[in-house]
Amino acid sequence: MDQFEILNSAIVAIRTNKLRSGLTALGIVIGVASVILLISIGSGLRNYITGQFEQLGSNLLFVIPGQIGAGGRGPGGATINKLTTKHVERIKREVKDLDGVVPTMQQFTTIKYRNLTLENVTIVGSTEEFAQVVNRPVTSGEFFDKSQAQSGKKVAAVGKTIVDELFQGENPIAKKIDIKGQKYTVVGTLKEQGSTFGFDQDNTVVIPFIAAQKQFGTTQVNNIYAKAENQESVARVRGEIETALLKDLEEEDFSVMTAEQTLSTIQGILGAISVSLAGIAAISLLVGGIGVSNIMLVSVTERTREIGLRKAVGARSTDILSQFLTEAVALTVLGGIIGLILASVATLIIARFIPATITVWSIIISFGFSTLVGVVFGVAPAIRAARLEPIVALRHE
Amino acid sequence: MSNLLSAKNLTKIYGQEPNQTIALDGVSINIKKGEFVAIVGPSGSGKSTLMHILGCLDKPTNGQYIFGGKEVSQLSDSELAKIRNEEIGFVFQFFNLLPRTSALKNAELPLVYSNTPKNKRTAIATKLLEKVGLGDKLNSTGAELSGGQQQRVAIARALVNDPSVIFADEPTGNLDSKSSAQIMEIFKKLNREDRTIVIITHERDIALNAKRIITTHDGKIISDKKVR
Repeated sequence: MDQFEILNSAIVAIRTNKLRSGLTALGIVIGVASVILLISIGSGLRNYITGQFEQLGSNLLFVIPGQIGAGGRGPGGATINKLTTKHVERIKREVKDLDGVVPTMQQFTTIKYRNLTLENVTIVGSTEEFAQVVNRPVTSGEFFDKSQAQSGKKVAAVGKTIVDELFQGENPIAKKIDIKGQKYTVVGTLKEQGSTFGFDQDNTVVIPFIAAQKQFGTTQVNNIYAKAENQESVARVRGEIETALLKDLEEEDFSVMTAEQTLSTIQGILGAISVSLAGIAAISLLVGGIGVSNIMLVSVTERTREIGLRKAVGARSTDILSQFLTEAVALTVLGGIIGLILASVATLIIARFIPATITVWSIIISFGFSTLVGVVFGVAPAIRAARLEPIVALRHE
Repeated sequence: MSNLLSAKNLTKIYGQEPNQTIALDGVSINIKKGEFVAIVGPSGSGKSTLMHILGCLDKPTNGQYIFGGKEVSQLSDSELAKIRNEEIGFVFQFFNLLPRTSALKNAELPLVYSNTPKNKRTAIATKLLEKVGLGDKLNSTGAELSGGQQQRVAIARALVNDPSVIFADEPTGNLDSKSSAQIMEIFKKLNREDRTIVIITHERDIALNAKRIITTHDGKIISDKKVR
């Protein structure tokens, strides 16, 4: 029996019971769609985060308070932040091959320009090297310089969201913005960076560290960013920063991270999350497969006479086996195709809110899985059909 | 002329002791090419069981059955399928057409299992449907055909692989007398073309169309005579 005839009879059988076939395939549709969708979201997030880190540059290192890793209490969390500008100075003095090191302090507050206000703006206090170290150049005007930074002058570089929403297209350079009653002169605008996990990176104002200390009444340093001269020296620089900081800090007081290390940590976490979510979704595929098995068994019983007739006119057991197996696989692959289409549409919609991309992998997986489910769950009913004796099948009423 | 099929001492026993049913009890029969045989007997006399064994649909419990020079009990299931496909045509009481499938597709079915190319299948099936008078019903499905027409599709299906013998199990059992007469005319015509035909029936007047009548009773042959 040629392949075309087998496929043809499978299609006829599926079309004969449209509603039943549809409902059976629905289980596969839901399973495949959810597996693909979760893989899409997972890989979209990974690509996005990789992109974000590539923007920062692979030479970047950062020091955060607290210890990350085994037994650590996590960054920020319960640890007391012992990082100060003193440590920034020490790193500057003692670590060689540095292409800049800056402290940062972050606060969230409301800012005003004329009668407009903008809430939850990230105010970053840092030094003149900030733009260069974290790879965020100014697109117009200038970043504040060393003398402005050291004198704690009230100047600010603003992100794109500030320009758009507070200045509404007006040229912000030399205008004064109000941060909690203090007036800051805008000296530059920062390159657009987009948002991470819905957090707008461009809703940012960078001011001199000293000005921020006065403004917010704290001496605490949230992070120290350091840039190694080249990628090869990253590991050595990291060691030297640790040595420098260990002079008056304990091991659990800080962690030195590299961009690459952080990236791989986050990617690892995201990978594990997406694999386990896809695994849960795969359970629905399994349930769908059981539905296929069930309906195929019903179909074999209903079509006992047909099987008997086919055997009487010369069908071998293997012909009947492949006929019913093809029917089950056709049903699941049909479900797989519809599931893929649904998942693609859903991905397009979701991609407006969080990063998500359909990957070649998810397409291969969906077809592979639906075929596999068809074979695995179709084989038992097909064997039952193939084993029917022609005479018993013909007598069946 | 040599025997097309030859059975010696066939027995067929269903079930286990003590609930055994002896369907055939030492039946011997020879049929030559070109014969037109009717096997008659009351229900339960073993005539259907005999036809199933002669048609290679079932194997005897004991005894020897040689079809076309081959000992059937020695053959595997797929070799039996091949014999049924190439050497035997079946016509059943309930027609057994595939539902929602055209007359043409139904008639083609045995050719599908003998891997005949599609254009050749269509040509052969069309020719035979024309021969049984259904040249204008090629695309009708079973539901659109009368009982007599469905049985004629089944006869065309039985003929497509040019078999050595046609077995018909109560072919007129579900038809009115007019359709029955038409069907029997077709069988007689086929026999005149030297086709071997074996009919199972419990109707005496249907059996009288044949040239030889074998009567079974309680699993045994009680008479075997030429009538024409």
